[in-house]
Amino acid sequence: MAGLPASAADAGSRPGRGTASALLVRWLFIGLSLAFLVAVLLAPLAAVFATALGQGIDTYLASFEDPDTGAAIRLTLLTAAIVVPINTIFGICAAWAIAKFEFRGKAFLITLIDLPFAVSPIISGLVYVLLFGAQGWFGMWLQEHNIDVIFALPGIILATLFVTFPYVARELIPLMEQLGNDEEEAAITLGAGGLMTFVSVTLPKIRWGLIYGVILCNARAMGEFGAVSVVSGHIRGLTTTMPLHIEILYNEYAFVGAFAVASLLTLLAVITLVIKSIMEWQSSKATGH
Amino acid sequence: MSITLDQVTKQYQGNPVVNDVSLAVAEGEFFVLLGPSGSGKSTLLRAIAGLTEVDHGRITLFGRDVTQVSAREREVGFVFQNYALFRHMTVGENIEFALRVRREKAAERVRRRKELLELIGLAGMDDRLPSQLSGGQQQRVAVARALAHKPKVLLLDEPFGALDAKIREELRRTIRSVQRELGITTILVTHDQEEAFALGDRLGVMNLGRLLEAGRPTELYSRPATRFVATFLGAANLILRREARVPVDSGPPGGRHAVAMAARREQEVVAMLRPEEAELAPDRDSLMTSFLGYGHVEELQFTGALERLRVRMSAEGSAQDGASATTPPVWIDVTRTQPEQRAFPLSPGRLVAIGTRRIHVLPTPLSSFTVCAETREGADRLLGNHWLGELAARMQTRLTAQVEPGTGDHGEPPAPPAGVAVVAAGEGCPARVRRLLERGVTPVLVLPEDTEPPARVVVHFAGQVARRATLAMTASLLRHVPAEAVFLGILPSGSPERTRTAGVRQLLDVRSEAQAGHGLDVRTELRLGDRIEELLRELGSQPGQMLILGLPEPGLLPENFEALLTRSPGWPVLLA
Repeated sequence: MAGLPASAADAGSRPGRGTASALLVRWLFIGLSLAFLVAVLLAPLAAVFATALGQGIDTYLASFEDPDTGAAIRLTLLTAAIVVPINTIFGICAAWAIAKFEFRGKAFLITLIDLPFAVSPIISGLVYVLLFGAQGWFGMWLQEHNIDVIFALPGIILATLFVTFPYVARELIPLMEQLGNDEEEAAITLGAGGLMTFVSVTLPKIRWGLIYGVILCNARAMGEFGAVSVVSGHIRGLTTTMPLHIEILYNEYAFVGAFAVASLLTLLAVITLVIKSIMEWQSSKATGH
Repeated sequence: MSITLDQVTKQYQGNPVVNDVSLAVAEGEFFVLLGPSGSGKSTLLRAIAGLTEVDHGRITLFGRDVTQVSAREREVGFVFQNYALFRHMTVGENIEFALRVRREKAAERVRRRKELLELIGLAGMDDRLPSQLSGGQQQRVAVARALAHKPKVLLLDEPFGALDAKIREELRRTIRSVQRELGITTILVTHDQEEAFALGDRLGVMNLGRLLEAGRPTELYSRPATRFVATFLGAANLILRREARVPVDSGPPGGRHAVAMAARREQEVVAMLRPEEAELAPDRDSLMTSFLGYGHVEELQFTGALERLRVRMSAEGSAQDGASATTPPVWIDVTRTQPEQRAFPLSPGRLVAIGTRRIHVLPTPLSSFTVCAETREGADRLLGNHWLGELAARMQTRLTAQVEPGTGDHGEPPAPPAGVAVVAAGEGCPARVRRLLERGVTPVLVLPEDTEPPARVVVHFAGQVARRATLAMTASLLRHVPAEAVFLGILPSGSPERTRTAGVRQLLDVRSEAQAGHGLDVRTELRLGDRIEELLRELGSQPGQMLILGLPEPGLLPENFEALLTRSPGWPVLLA
C-alpha cells in the first residue's frame, strides 16, 4: 500500500465518492426516481385540475350547481360523518385491547382487523348484497319489515365501514405498544379514574397518530368506489357518492363536471398529506429528536 | 406497622412469581427490597401499589386492608424506573396532577408545587417539558409528583436504573434526605447491593419469588442465614467443613466454633468466609488468626485500594475432607488492603497459609449432595439428573457420588456421606433408604429417573409431631426451589370433631413455628382419610410435585410409607 499514490488508494476504498462516474450514477438515480414520480403521480394530479379548469373557472363552479352533484357531495359527507366516528371509536378500543392486554386470540384479532386490506372492495360490497339483498339471508325479513339496506344509505354505510375499519386501529396499535403503559399507571396511582386517565394522559399521548388515522379513514371513506358501487345501485341523486358520480359523469362525456368533482377528492388527498407532514414534524418535536 | 404483607402470592401461568411473602415495614422506615432480576421484587412492589392483583394473601396499609382496593384509592406514591412523566405536560402540571384529580384550589396547588420543587432542588423549572430535562432531573420530578398528594407510603421501583453512576449517587442522597425530612414510609426496589446498603434502614433479599431474609444491612452482611443472601450481599466464600455436630434444633449458632461437646457425629456445615476476613501468611505459625488450610495463589488482581486474590486450597492440611478423589477443587477469594500487601507481597504460584479472622456458619442443614448408588452407571444417571444439577448449582454447593456395592458385599462400609444423600427411586429403594438412615444419614432425597422441576411442594409429617430438624430442612430446600409449598395434615376419616380441631391447631402451630424460626411462610391444608391414599392422590393429582416427608424420629422410616417411594412415577421425596 505504501507504494500507491494516496488518492488512488482513497478512491479504491471509497466507491461512489469523488469520482466522476460515481457522481453520474448518483444523479442518474435521483433523476430517474424524480421522472417516475412526475410521470406517475404528479402528471395525473395536474391533469385533474387542468381538465376541471380547462373551460374557465365559471364553468368549473357552475358544474357544482347540478342538483345531482350536490346530492352526491351531501351523501358522501353524510357517509363519512357516520363512518369515521364509528371507526375511530372502534379503532381506539381495538388498539387499546391489543396494545395493553394479553389475551387468547390476540393474533387472530389483529389478522381480522387487517382483513379489509386483503379483501378486494368488490367482494366487501358483494358480501352485503348476499346478506341483505332481496335474495340474501336476511332479505325476506328486511322486506317484511320494510327496511331498505341494499341500494340505500344503510348499505353504503355498511360497505364503507367494512372497508375503512383498519385505518385508525392500524395507526394506533404500534404507537400504543411503543409508548407503553407507564404513564397511565402513574396517573392511576395518583388517584385518577379511568376516564380522566384516558382524556388527560392517553389521548394527548396518541393524538397525532389518532388524527392521522382519522384522516386516512376519512379519505378512504369519501373515496371508496368498489364496495359502494356494488351496494349503491347507482340511483342518481339518491345513492351515488362522489366517486360513483364522477364515473357516471365521465361515462356521459361531461368531462368538466367529472373532473370538477374529482378535483375535490384530489384536494382531500393533498390535505391529508399536509396534515401528515405537520404530524410528523410535531411528533418529532415532542420527543425532542 | 405501616405496611404489612401477609402470605402474598402472585402467579403467572402457574408459576409463582411472588411466593408467600410476609413482611412488616415500620412507620417512617426506609425498606429496600433487593434481589436479582426476575426475583419478583418489582411484582411485589406493584402489588403493594395495587398495579398488580395478588392471587392470595393480604396487604395492609396503616391498618387498612387494601387487598381488594384499587390502585387509585390506595393513596401511595409510586416512582417508575423510566420516570413515566406525562410527556405533554410541563413539570408544574405533572406535579399538580394528583392535586387536580383531588380538585384542590389553584392557589393551594401552586403553593404545593413550589414547595415540592424546592424540596427536590428544581425550583423555577415549572414550565419546562420533561423532554427538556436530563434523566436525573426527570426522576426528581417523578419523585415530586409522587409526593404531591401527601401519600403515607412512597414506593420506588428501581428509580436509578436508567441513570449513570454520578447522577445516581446524587439522586440517592436527595431521596434519602427527602425521605428523612418527610418521615414517609418508603420501599425501594433495586438489584444493586451498594444502593441497598446506602439507603436502607432495613433490607429484604428476594430470590425466586421468596423473601429470604430481612434485617439491618450490617446484620445481613455479617450473619446471613442463607447461601443466597451470603453471596448476593457482597462476595463470600462458602466452605463446606466437617464439624462436631452443630445443634440444628437450637437455632443459629452464636459463636464461632462454640459447639456442644456432646457431639454424636461429625456434621458437615456450610461456613461463610468474607474475602476481607481471610488472612494470608507464609506458613501456619505466622498466622495471627485461626488456620483454615494451605493453598496456592492462582490469580492476583490489583484494583486500586484493594488486591484481589484467588487461592486454590490444597488437599493436604486442608479443613476439607481430602480423602475422596471425587472432591472438586476449592477456591478461596481473598481481598487485601495496601498495608497487608506491603507486609507480605505475593505473586501467583506461591504457597500460602490461609487464616480466618471471622467465619460464620450458616444455619442451613442442607450442606452438600452425595449421590449413592450400587454401580457407577447408577451414580452417573443420578448425577446427570437435570433438576439435581440445577439445585446444587443454585445452592452453590458440591455434588459428588459415592458408589457402594450392594448388601452381598461384606467389606467395610465406607464413611457415611455427609449432607444430603441422593438415591434413585423405584425397586429396592426403601431398603437403600433404610440402610442410609440406619447409618445416621439425614436427609435422604429419593429421585425418580425423570424428575420434573417441582412447582409445588407438599410437606407431611409422618409422626405425631413436626420435628424442628424437618422444618429447618424444609425451609432450607424451599429457599432454593421456585415452588409453592403446603403443609398437608391428614386425619383418619372417622375422626371426632375434637381430634380435627386439634389437628388444625397443630398445623397452624407448625406454620407459625416455620414462620418464626425460619422466616418461611407456608400454607396449610387438612384432609380426612387414609394417609398414604391421600398423599398418593395429592401427588398424583398434577405433575411437577415434590414431597417432603418428616420422619417420626431420626432414622426411622415407617413401613406403610414405602409405597410413596416405590410407586412414584416422577415425584421426588425428601426424607427429613
